[in-house]
Amino acid sequence: MTKEMKTLSGAALDRYFRRVLRSEPALTPEIAERLAERLKANIASLKLRREAQSAEAADPAAAAVQGPVPGFDPYSPNLVVVVRLAGRDAALAALAAIESPDDLRLLAREQQLSVEPSVATPAELRLAIVAAAEQRIANRRAAARGA
Amino acid sequence: MAESEAEFIAVSNRKGGVGKSTVAIMLAHAAAAYGRRRVLVMDLDTQCNASLMLIGGEAWDKARRAGKTIADYFFDRFDKVAEDESEYVVASAGDVAHPRTGEGRVALLPGSLLLEDVQGELFLKQAKTGQDAELVASQVRTRMKRLMKHFGMDYDLVIMDCPPGLSFAALAALDLADRVVVPFRPDFVSEFALDRASLLIEKVNSAEELAEIALAKRRYACLPNYLRGTPRERLVLEQLALDHPMLTSRLPELASVARAFDWDMTKKTMEQKFGDALPHIRALHDELFGASRALGRRQAV
Repeated sequence: MTKEMKTLSGAALDRYFRRVLRSEPALTPEIAERLAERLKANIASLKLRREAQSAEAADPAAAAVQGPVPGFDPYSPNLVVVVRLAGRDAALAALAAIESPDDLRLLAREQQLSVEPSVATPAELRLAIVAAAEQRIANRRAAARGA
Repeated sequence: MAESEAEFIAVSNRKGGVGKSTVAIMLAHAAAAYGRRRVLVMDLDTQCNASLMLIGGEAWDKARRAGKTIADYFFDRFDKVAEDESEYVVASAGDVAHPRTGEGRVALLPGSLLLEDVQGELFLKQAKTGQDAELVASQVRTRMKRLMKHFGMDYDLVIMDCPPGLSFAALAALDLADRVVVPFRPDFVSEFALDRASLLIEKVNSAEELAEIALAKRRYACLPNYLRGTPRERLVLEQLALDHPMLTSRLPELASVARAFDWDMTKKTMEQKFGDALPHIRALHDELFGASRALGRRQAV
């Protein structure tokens, strides 16, 4: 057994709990959700064995339940405001805490920041979201110039 | 001059359906009831919604047939020296029980479906002098502004309900206004509408020029209207507040507001008229005119 481990915390940990609990057929979705909430409240971080990571990645059922983290606020940070006030790098830093591609896509959709469907990785998504925010600002300025 | 003593407030947004007439009427009633001010509502919108809300369809039609609307006023008086303009005004308007005369009343200069046609006629009349079209347009607007300003003699507050477009009358009103209230719905399209409205009001050509004018120095303030309390609205409001002065007052989307604008022959109290919207209307009044204004008039803005 390899000793390589991955530390999970925050949204990634929350996602892990839900993935495991929802994949257990003996648990109803409500009980799985309650357990996930309790674990999330009590556990700050955990170390995941490498084979567990591989098993999770290979399990299509687990992949199917992957989705936005409940409680994720797609309206925060307000990307346009962050770009306007603090610039591109600050906006990327603000997005760094969001690891899930689903959450990043949800944020883009709710903040009406257009991102190509082909953009897949979290890093690419963050760049695309910030670029879309910059485009929104540029569009507003250009439209006002024609007034 | 006595005529300049009234405060002129324009309620304006180039975007339609944002509640301009609704806000104009609410402010008029609040200023009369809480500020004891003599208020005139000037209906510059050819939809005439403010007129219908204040005097109902029959009285508006009567004014129209008698040639006593704002379009008639502009047309009749365009070439003349200042005269008594009160014959064009409905002295007691609205179905809130304000005094008919003296302080705390609401009057109406009724709107007209023909206002845009009349503006065209005035332009052609003025153009006969053979001048450049832009100069002629400017002269027409200036004359209309002077005619509107005459009403300052008889009222403490003149609220100008502006049309969505950029007619001569709308531009004259924006030029005349001491302050401009810009109601808007907090959606993404409103960003463009507010940007454009602000450039026009502040007479600048770009967002960069506008940014050089401090928010506190601007002549306009934006009023979020039809609020539902969604997170997306909050997002838009945060973004708009970077560029535009926002009133603290907010007007939620309430059935009581929609109902309040059905004109009724029976006079009501403010509470009966506006229901649970009244605290919001009162807050807007106090923010715009100052709570101290409830005791007097024409204090410094």
